[in-house]
Amino acid sequence: MNHAFLILKRWMALLACAGILSFAGSRIEAADEAAKTPAAETAATTAATPAAGDAGHAAANVPGHGHGGEAKHVSFAEQFGYSYLTAYMFCLSLCMGSLFLVIVHHLFDAGWSASIRRVTEQLSSLLFPWMLVLLIPILVLQKQIYPWLSLDPAQDHSLAVKVVLFNPTAFNLFLIALVGSWGAIAHSFRRWSLAQDKDGKVEWTRKSRVLAAAGIFYFAFSLTLGCFYLMKSLQHQFFSTMYGVYYFAGSVWTTLATVYVLIMVLSRPGMPLEKVVFKRQQQDVGVLFFAFTVFYAYIHFSQYFLIWNAAMPEETFWYVRREYGSWKWVGFTILFGHFFIPFLLMLNQDIKRKLFLMFPMAAWAWLMHYVDMTFNVMPVLHPEGLHVSILDPLLWFGMTGFLAVMFWRNFNSAAPYPLRDPRFAEAVTHHEIPAAGGAASHH
Amino acid sequence: MSAKPTKTYGLLAEFDTAAAIMHAAIECRDAGFKKWDVYTPFPIHGMDDAMGVKKSLVGWFTFAGGFTGFFTGMGMIWFMNKFDYPLVVGGKPLFTPLYAFPVSYELTILMGSFGTLIGMFLLNRLPKLYNPLFKNERFKRATDDRFFVCIEAADPKFSQARETLEKAGAQVIETVED
Amino acid sequence: MAKSASDPQSHAGHSAPVGAALKVYPAPKELEREPLVLNNRSLGWITDAIAGICEKPMPKWWWPAFIISFGVMVMMFSMIAYEVSTGIGVWGLNQPANWAWDITNFVFWIGIGHAGTLISAVLFLLRQKWRTSINRSAEAMTLFAVACAGIFPVFHVGRVWFALLPGYLIPAPNANGIWPQFRSPLLWDVFAVSTYGTVSLLFWFTGLIPDLATLRDRATSKVRKFFYGLFALGWTGSNRNWSNYEKAYLILAGLSTPLVLSVHSIVSFDFAVSVVPGWHTTIFPPYFVAGAIFSGFGMVLTLLIPMRTLFKLEDVITVRHVELMCKVILATGSIVGYAYGMEFFIAWYGGSPYELYAFKNRAFGPYWWSYWSMITCNVISPHLFWFKWCRSTMWFVWLISIVVNIGMWFERFVIIVTSLHRDYLPGSWGYFTPSWVDILTFVGSFGLFMTLFLLFIRFLPAIAISEVKGVTPQADPHHPLGGAKDHH
Repeated sequence: MNHAFLILKRWMALLACAGILSFAGSRIEAADEAAKTPAAETAATTAATPAAGDAGHAAANVPGHGHGGEAKHVSFAEQFGYSYLTAYMFCLSLCMGSLFLVIVHHLFDAGWSASIRRVTEQLSSLLFPWMLVLLIPILVLQKQIYPWLSLDPAQDHSLAVKVVLFNPTAFNLFLIALVGSWGAIAHSFRRWSLAQDKDGKVEWTRKSRVLAAAGIFYFAFSLTLGCFYLMKSLQHQFFSTMYGVYYFAGSVWTTLATVYVLIMVLSRPGMPLEKVVFKRQQQDVGVLFFAFTVFYAYIHFSQYFLIWNAAMPEETFWYVRREYGSWKWVGFTILFGHFFIPFLLMLNQDIKRKLFLMFPMAAWAWLMHYVDMTFNVMPVLHPEGLHVSILDPLLWFGMTGFLAVMFWRNFNSAAPYPLRDPRFAEAVTHHEIPAAGGAASHH
Repeated sequence: MSAKPTKTYGLLAEFDTAAAIMHAAIECRDAGFKKWDVYTPFPIHGMDDAMGVKKSLVGWFTFAGGFTGFFTGMGMIWFMNKFDYPLVVGGKPLFTPLYAFPVSYELTILMGSFGTLIGMFLLNRLPKLYNPLFKNERFKRATDDRFFVCIEAADPKFSQARETLEKAGAQVIETVED
Repeated sequence: MAKSASDPQSHAGHSAPVGAALKVYPAPKELEREPLVLNNRSLGWITDAIAGICEKPMPKWWWPAFIISFGVMVMMFSMIAYEVSTGIGVWGLNQPANWAWDITNFVFWIGIGHAGTLISAVLFLLRQKWRTSINRSAEAMTLFAVACAGIFPVFHVGRVWFALLPGYLIPAPNANGIWPQFRSPLLWDVFAVSTYGTVSLLFWFTGLIPDLATLRDRATSKVRKFFYGLFALGWTGSNRNWSNYEKAYLILAGLSTPLVLSVHSIVSFDFAVSVVPGWHTTIFPPYFVAGAIFSGFGMVLTLLIPMRTLFKLEDVITVRHVELMCKVILATGSIVGYAYGMEFFIAWYGGSPYELYAFKNRAFGPYWWSYWSMITCNVISPHLFWFKWCRSTMWFVWLISIVVNIGMWFERFVIIVTSLHRDYLPGSWGYFTPSWVDILTFVGSFGLFMTLFLLFIRFLPAIAISEVKGVTPQADPHHPLGGAKDHH
């Protein structure tokens, strides 16, 4: 291994030189800029530091490395765009998480979730038209939001290599096509399920299974591309193979919290799901919520841990910026709030059926996922540290509130559960779960 | 070696279905027996409630083991790599929970598992290679396809045992000697 | 409702009564679920069928199979003796491919083991009752695979005693007072793999206790009674014991689940914390775990399909079981496919010329044949399982299961060798070819694996007796076959 080790050492030294060069470059540029009038340019656009030779590659990839902290003038349009994007990514999580739950229900031929599937069908159907409509402000403000759209690919190595996908035309067309196609898939599932309510034919289930089979692949790749476009490209130089899985894990986590609250509220006396939601569904959604708490932590830890260990500036700059100033505390909030608190709280089996703990837990999950989205989006606009604008809560509550109204309207326009789904009988006429903790109740 | 005078260990009743043993357990519980048990070839769901058995305490042993494991890992690595012989490797800090995490995590699970198993053995009083019940020929089917209730002679209400078991519909009732 | 067992229309409809207003349509006949134990076998039949295997003399094929496996195993130990006595140079690895078949075989075998833990722990937590027929043999497979895996990293150090000296692997200071340094993923690996082996053994043994008691109570010879009795620890099937036992089993499953995720994640750290193009990528941990489960299920099928036929266990390991395992292969194979795709995508997206070269070199360089073998076996072949015929035709499933194993071996080979053989300095590029010792050692590890597995089915119940009983209708006090008279 000596030989390989030597080469590694040389490469590390090269990288270190590149890092120093880039750092120096960025200081010079920052000084230049300070002399200029305050341009409405975001921090990341200062990235393109041309450097020569081999080091140029690394240097061009190290925007903002070591130069967080300079508060920039932020225009209203920028602040609005970023706050809006954060809220949009949050809502997209809920829709895509729901779509995932619908797909896996069909894919696994699940029984227990048949009685609550209408909830996720309706949630995911918000993708069309509403998530597509809500995408418009992002497309309008794209120049204000995405620094790479103002860059010349010829001047920026990391943009030049991916200019095939990262050009204004592809960006706009793909985003519309992605959200539109997700909506089409979600609506197909809902339409077939509603048709089955009427005639009870097995063919609707079969069709859904075929779509789920093809859909899971499309879902995986398209969601990755979608979150690359919408969120990761804010710092287009950053790359991580885990990023798609990372957004996915957080999304499903938040969705499960939402579904938990929805089915428990909707099954209260007099509510539409009263007779079809049992402890079994409650426990299972709770357990999945818990499982995704762990899964998210596993994914995020792995991403951070590998980047930390390898310590390559091409990657570390993303976390370096997120460890600057108060962003560090946001990171700790995610570590403890997104993982440790929910994990320790829900570790006990019986907790998943205690509403007085699970409801606050779900609300907390919403907050934490929002913090996670903020952690991804906002350091680009506010490298100096966490900056909460009034637009953040306004747009978050506005968007989720609007979607909640739309969800409620849709939910009431159709049967609240799949009346004649072939697995419905299994979901509602099954034993209570075999509670291994000894909590079985059968008297 | 003179034969010891035999002492009654308890009364053993045999049942043939899961439902029957469930019913018998409820009868025994309601009759207020204290030292008795149900023997089945597999765990029957709901039997703990039927017998009135409290929740298992094994989880606390797991917790103790896991807790010890995690801090053993962290402490060990801190001691070895930061305190006792600090050595800079790969430009990494001498100690941070980050790189110490994988090993501490594994030790959490390792000691947690040992804790669980030790807890289970302690609570179940195992291993226990001698048991008067093993002398009973019928009892061999407790690990095959028959279900048993045994009320021990040490139970204060032992005098009512036969009556209760008969009422519960036992197929065979035998006395087990110690 | 009492006649529901014989009435297929209300297959699932025999329990908890639902509100009168709720209209529930029974599942259509074509979508009915099959029972997990076919032909309504009794509890006694299950005991006889499974315990009988290790009580009766072994069938004719067992001895030749054992002798061949044993011979192959002896060959492996001779190869290792030759390697240790001569030096690591008898293996084909050299600059620049310092890791080659040794670590490939290590990751291959440790990955195989993961299916066992997944079946016994994860499927248990998910309440997948079908696991009961296969978990025992899958867990045994885990142990034997970990044993095979351990051989390669231990002996690839050449002077193997160094692995045991203080200051290297075991946490004790060396002669200069220096401790092992825990920033190295290789040391994490030592802890991960040894924890994995130990916990798997504990979990396996815990599951065996009630079945050992069954064998003890059926034993006719003194020797069998003594040994089974000793290891059954005096188990009686007392419900007060079952209560603690079930809790402990649940917790062990709960501990094994994060364990199995962590083990292959840590194995992936061996590569991913480095800065070698093709190795350093953030998706490695979940991708390795998925790949491990993928290959492990392949191996489970390779072993169980012949076993169910040879021991006439078709009523316990049913076609449904095989189909479900095929679906797991399909799912994990797809995740692996996603990871392959992401690696290539990010190599392009990231713009690092080294990374991009590493991947181009994988697909079109001198080792193109291994890359495309991997793609064919891992990405393409599992998708045949979308078709029911492919999932339910035993010889075909068996064939694909072997293809999957081959593919996963190639995956590790591709990751390790193609990333190393051309590094940053073209002057030091090379081409790795295995030596005959490499090949025979690897082939020999299958001998060790099969020897252990054959001994296992000879002496221990290959299917969890008490657990299979637990999922039959006879075990359900609310089911007519469990003795329920009427419904409450």
